[in-house]
Amino acid sequence: MQEWVEGIKVSRRGVLRALGLLGVSAAAAPFLAGEPGVASGQGNLGSLQPEEKVDATLKRLFGGRPIKDGSNMIKMDLPLIAENGAVVPITVEVQSPMTPTNYVKSIYIISDRNRRPMNARFSLTPEMGAAAIGANLRLNETGDVRAIAELNDGTLLMAKREVKVTVGGCGG
Amino acid sequence: MLRPGTVFGGGIVFAALLSAACAQTDKASTAGLPPAPWISRAIPEGKGEVKTQPDGKKMQVRYKRAPFAGVPQDWSDYRTYAYDDTRPAPPVSKAPMTQVKGDPARGRRLFLSRAQGPCTGCHLIPGADVWPAGNIGPDLSTYGDRNLPDEFIFTQLYDSRNFFPNTTMPPWGTTGVFKPEELVHIVAFLKTLKGPVPPEKDPDRNPDTRAKPVGFGDNLDPTNNPAVLLAEGAMAVWSKKGPAGKACADCHAGGPEKSMKEAATRYPKYVKAYQRVMSIEDFLTVHAPETTGLQMLSQSADNLNMTMLVKMQSNGMPLKVDVTSPEAKGAYERGRASFFKRVGQRNHACADCHTKGAGRGSDKFLGGRLLADVEVGLTKHFPLWRTSQGQVWDMRKRMQWCMTPLGMNMLPADAVEYAELELYLTAFDNGKEMSVPGIRH
Amino acid sequence: MAEIGKVRIRIPSNIKRGDVVRVRSLVIHPMEIVQRRDGKPVDKNYLFIHKVMVEYNGREILQADTTQSISENPFFSFTFKPTEPGMLRITFLDTHGGKYEGTAEIKFT
Repeated sequence: MQEWVEGIKVSRRGVLRALGLLGVSAAAAPFLAGEPGVASGQGNLGSLQPEEKVDATLKRLFGGRPIKDGSNMIKMDLPLIAENGAVVPITVEVQSPMTPTNYVKSIYIISDRNRRPMNARFSLTPEMGAAAIGANLRLNETGDVRAIAELNDGTLLMAKREVKVTVGGCGG
Repeated sequence: MLRPGTVFGGGIVFAALLSAACAQTDKASTAGLPPAPWISRAIPEGKGEVKTQPDGKKMQVRYKRAPFAGVPQDWSDYRTYAYDDTRPAPPVSKAPMTQVKGDPARGRRLFLSRAQGPCTGCHLIPGADVWPAGNIGPDLSTYGDRNLPDEFIFTQLYDSRNFFPNTTMPPWGTTGVFKPEELVHIVAFLKTLKGPVPPEKDPDRNPDTRAKPVGFGDNLDPTNNPAVLLAEGAMAVWSKKGPAGKACADCHAGGPEKSMKEAATRYPKYVKAYQRVMSIEDFLTVHAPETTGLQMLSQSADNLNMTMLVKMQSNGMPLKVDVTSPEAKGAYERGRASFFKRVGQRNHACADCHTKGAGRGSDKFLGGRLLADVEVGLTKHFPLWRTSQGQVWDMRKRMQWCMTPLGMNMLPADAVEYAELELYLTAFDNGKEMSVPGIRH
Repeated sequence: MAEIGKVRIRIPSNIKRGDVVRVRSLVIHPMEIVQRRDGKPVDKNYLFIHKVMVEYNGREILQADTTQSISENPFFSFTFKPTEPGMLRITFLDTHGGKYEGTAEIKFT
């Protein structure tokens, strides 16, 4: 069993308050839908991923590119039944030598039943040694969660799993 | 008579305890009760106050966030755990079956209605849209095959206690959760449930074959449980000098690690200075201001975080709460009586969900929630991080919430009744190792 | 939240040159979700982490574009293969210009 130790603790910078609108610098802008929306007043709703069905998300992200079945290459670890939709832990591992000529460039996590289906996009480098990432997802309701891996040669592979989200109960 | 914000006068209690106790000891003791009503030192939203609104209606003040925010009803009409609440449970009653034509489709909608039942919380019925049903009550998928008389089914729904005096099933008609006409539709629906039941395509749909929840991993890993970071943040409060010019650190040398080692294993306990049973949360509400001048109201962030910090110093050590001194014994017995007392509009007792047996909930599903058995020990990981709420909950908030959607106004977070119920629950954890903060749904 | 931006990183205690190291990280952050009124989303300046950057000895090894569909108090795990000892730095950026960092020193046994 591996022993874990704490890394060097928090070095936490002070919060730099943005002045009004976003887009102060490219680094500060959230992941854009493609066409930056017009932020009305002080809101940033326009710069978010659009509300859309998952088919539209896939079309927008990947155009008409073929997405192959990657279920034998992609290992998705997530609960079959989530106790709630607020915290659904997922780990994704894609089989890959992760060499400079053969590596996984991106991993997209997409939840079909979310209003804005894309949860996150990870951009990997060969220095990772393995194409393995994990995160805690918010799921709107029972539905498929997809992991789409993009290889450095542009190949797209996908695996997906249904997660049932438990609702209700006196526990809240 | 309910007096929110305070608890009770000693004299009334004795009579109340005799009437409240279910299958009880020969004489109820008042040992361990404070002589005067306890004045709550909770944050305003945690005091359980009931205010009268301009329209004359009563409404309990509750926490502003979910899930409390989603319960807009006032439940003053229904009895609580308060020791001076001597009201009986709603009396068993019957009503004639309303003369309307039962509509099975409407009955099915009512059966699934979250606003009232849902009946599927305890009972499985056919349908791919039934997610998630529970199995505390019998599977009703072939109830229609029993060919029971309409009036019998109606009365069973109206008030099951007519047939099963100690049933877990709420008296839906007696307390008005369902109108009699609605029950007629449900009767019509139940009569349509005839076999054979189609083979189950999805084992998770049926609570008998459903996979159990896997939990949320290592509760003590700070990269997994945010509550660990919040507890560590209490270190700043530990060293902070209050208005009285002192900090916790000034009297408790060696930091929490040395000075609080093993301390939490003895709580809740009877505190002589205050003549009542107290958890660490309760004790902080009086101890912090009287020594340092710092406020630590029950349910405040400072109180919860400091409680976690103190309890963490006993992680890995077995709980050993006192249940033998006269005061502890009295408190334990009163806590036990509360555990078995039927309360609220739905006439539920903690025991209905958290003990084993036919019609009881332990290790069964209530809807999608697996219910815990009190004997396993329910307190050694409290306070805990609730992933569904994004918040730390202590045992008191858990108690305040449990019955709120089931039709009972909550007591103040630091109520003596809750403390003594907590003592009863914690006794099941005696000998078991603490692991705070926990992490749960 | 009083503790916004608090970061914690965990790494294995025994790392040998050439190991693929699994890293776990957590940052306290509300990750505000889109509110709805009358069935429509409300336009607000939502506060959430939108970017995570992982550097090792100054080189970026992983980046994530994140959304409000990531849980409050975001947790991330990833692997990396250090070829030399050094400093791992994880930086989180949020939509209000907040920048939060945690570091972990990697030494080989």
